[in-house]
Amino acid sequence: MLSAEEWTIVALSLKVGGVALAAMLPLAFALAWVLARAHFPGKLLLDAIVHLPLVVPPVVTGWALLLAFGPNGPIGGVLERWFGISVLFRWTGAAIAAGIMALPLMVRAMRLSIEAVDRRLESAARTLGAGPGRVFWSLTLPLSLPGVLAGAVLGFARSIGEFGATITFVSNVPGQTQTLPLAIYSALQQPGAEATVWRLSAMSVALSLVALVASEMLTRRVRRGLHVL
Amino acid sequence: MIRSLLLAASLLVAAPTVAQVRPPLVLAAASLQESMNAAAAAWAKAGHPRPVISFAASSALARQVEAGGDADLFVSADQEWMDALAAKRLIVPASRVTFLGNRLVVIAAKDNPVTIPVRPPAALAKVLTAGPLAMADSPVPAGRYAEAALRALGVWQAVAPKVVRGDSVRAALTLVERGAAPLGIVYATDAKASQTVRIAGVFPAASHPAITYPVARLATSRNPEAEAFRRFLISAPGKAIFVRYGFTAR
Amino acid sequence: MSFEIRVDKQLGEASIALDLTAGDGLTVLFGPSGIGKTSVLNMVAGLLRPDRGRIAVAGRVLFDTDAGIDLAPERRRAGYVFQEPRLFPHRRVRANLLYGAADDSGLAAAVAMLGIGHLLDRWPRTLSGGEARRVAIGRALLRDPAFLLLDEPLSSLDRARRGEIMDAILRVRDAAGLPILMVTHDPDEAERLGTRIVRID
Repeated sequence: MLSAEEWTIVALSLKVGGVALAAMLPLAFALAWVLARAHFPGKLLLDAIVHLPLVVPPVVTGWALLLAFGPNGPIGGVLERWFGISVLFRWTGAAIAAGIMALPLMVRAMRLSIEAVDRRLESAARTLGAGPGRVFWSLTLPLSLPGVLAGAVLGFARSIGEFGATITFVSNVPGQTQTLPLAIYSALQQPGAEATVWRLSAMSVALSLVALVASEMLTRRVRRGLHVL
Repeated sequence: MIRSLLLAASLLVAAPTVAQVRPPLVLAAASLQESMNAAAAAWAKAGHPRPVISFAASSALARQVEAGGDADLFVSADQEWMDALAAKRLIVPASRVTFLGNRLVVIAAKDNPVTIPVRPPAALAKVLTAGPLAMADSPVPAGRYAEAALRALGVWQAVAPKVVRGDSVRAALTLVERGAAPLGIVYATDAKASQTVRIAGVFPAASHPAITYPVARLATSRNPEAEAFRRFLISAPGKAIFVRYGFTAR
Repeated sequence: MSFEIRVDKQLGEASIALDLTAGDGLTVLFGPSGIGKTSVLNMVAGLLRPDRGRIAVAGRVLFDTDAGIDLAPERRRAGYVFQEPRLFPHRRVRANLLYGAADDSGLAAAVAMLGIGHLLDRWPRTLSGGEARRVAIGRALLRDPAFLLLDEPLSSLDRARRGEIMDAILRVRDAAGLPILMVTHDPDEAERLGTRIVRID
């Protein structure tokens, strides 16, 4: 099985992916909501921008993050001056990279599930005395939840597999940013470390499989549970 | 296995508190992975906090320094990236030392007895184009040196169509190890590290720019440990560790 | 007057103009399918905004272009039984019934009147068409409405069910004392249930 050091790498991957997920979840849901329900000029542009990390080479995304979040950059400069924190070479930066790369997948899945909620149910609830807030909490959110969760799990799977943006943005620092994919890359750089590559790769595949199966099971619950009369 | 898990958990939890003296963060070219790790281990054995080393392409590391990252030492696989940082005043000029060298070699699988004739160009071209020729991508120093050497020997035009690029010099090595390419151009140190390839020929030193490794302390470094580790690297015992892995001491 | 409805609305290529005043009891809006009867109900409920006009029910002004009044749907106190039951699939029948109710004090009576006591713990997707329709009526009643809107309440039901629902509506009409506005294209329904019939064409 894995050595203690290798388990640390797995734990770091889970930590980075978990934090990325928690941080991105509200943003992804808000974006999904806006794209599903709101109408405004420039909506198409917003949709395209949200999908950029999905189609642009990860290295480019990583470089853009470096420019923005590096201590010399616009966002990084603010973080440094006002809060004294730097995300470069830190697991927090790895979480940002992972989150950005996962965002488009999450928004897509969540948007679909919000769009699938029958608006007629919502208007029925309004006539029954529920204001927009109550309609959201008692109806829209529970009904879109399975799809939202499926999107979250999919995003998590994507974020623990993130490599190009991470290494370009926050480097390959063991214990901080050396997540599973970067550890595999480092092992590949060492002739004779085949066994390590195999073990870590197997772990990576196992984690991804679990996440994908969970996502699929949640998606099926959506189709089963929303039988509207 | 449970023990490994518990140990890992305790490592993660304990990490912030253990380092009262913070270990230095070293940014080092990927080609130095084993040797630098060995040097760090030796340094730790002598009672110092073990340096944390990030191995990646020199270009990526340099860009991270340019973006304002706070690391302590930078060890580059060529002078160019160090020059770039020096021009931006991101290194401490007095701390810059070129302490290692390397040779450029042609490798083949261990059981392939081929020898590489340096002259005449036609013979060299014939041998090199027998199959795909693996080398690192052109932005990577190893890739540039390989192309320079082939040009200097007059065979680049003939060989270029057969060239297969790996994204790093180690990737090129892997291509030869796996038999995807019968020959490859890598550093002598890479060849030495591998159990499954042999050195089939060495490029004349004059055919390519000197392969040198400078180390420098970064201007933003505040860690006293960083300077101590740098001194160790450029000392005779430090360099000796690298020589064991196939580098030349300068 | 129970219903005072004067509205103009442009819906795509068609337009609706209605001027209706009606007293107590069950008022039927009768006419062929597709001419916008449901849209009228939606405008009374606040789900569709008229281009201009005035809507008042049981003395309360719900909408008035001139006075700048446009109450949100949740404040109009409408009990709306839609053409499809629109039960919330993630809640059981009991929770559906009580969704708009302040408490469960009226539950027993409504359940008895509609004969749905045995359905309380069921999930909406397991109900038959007639059962779901009755639950929808119960849900609308339990939110203590000021008036009822019924959209084709007997459509797509078989003969036995139609009888049941018709009886239930009659009971509601006679017992609850609420103004009811019902839409249908079926003349028999209109005859049996309507206190008065308003023909739309």
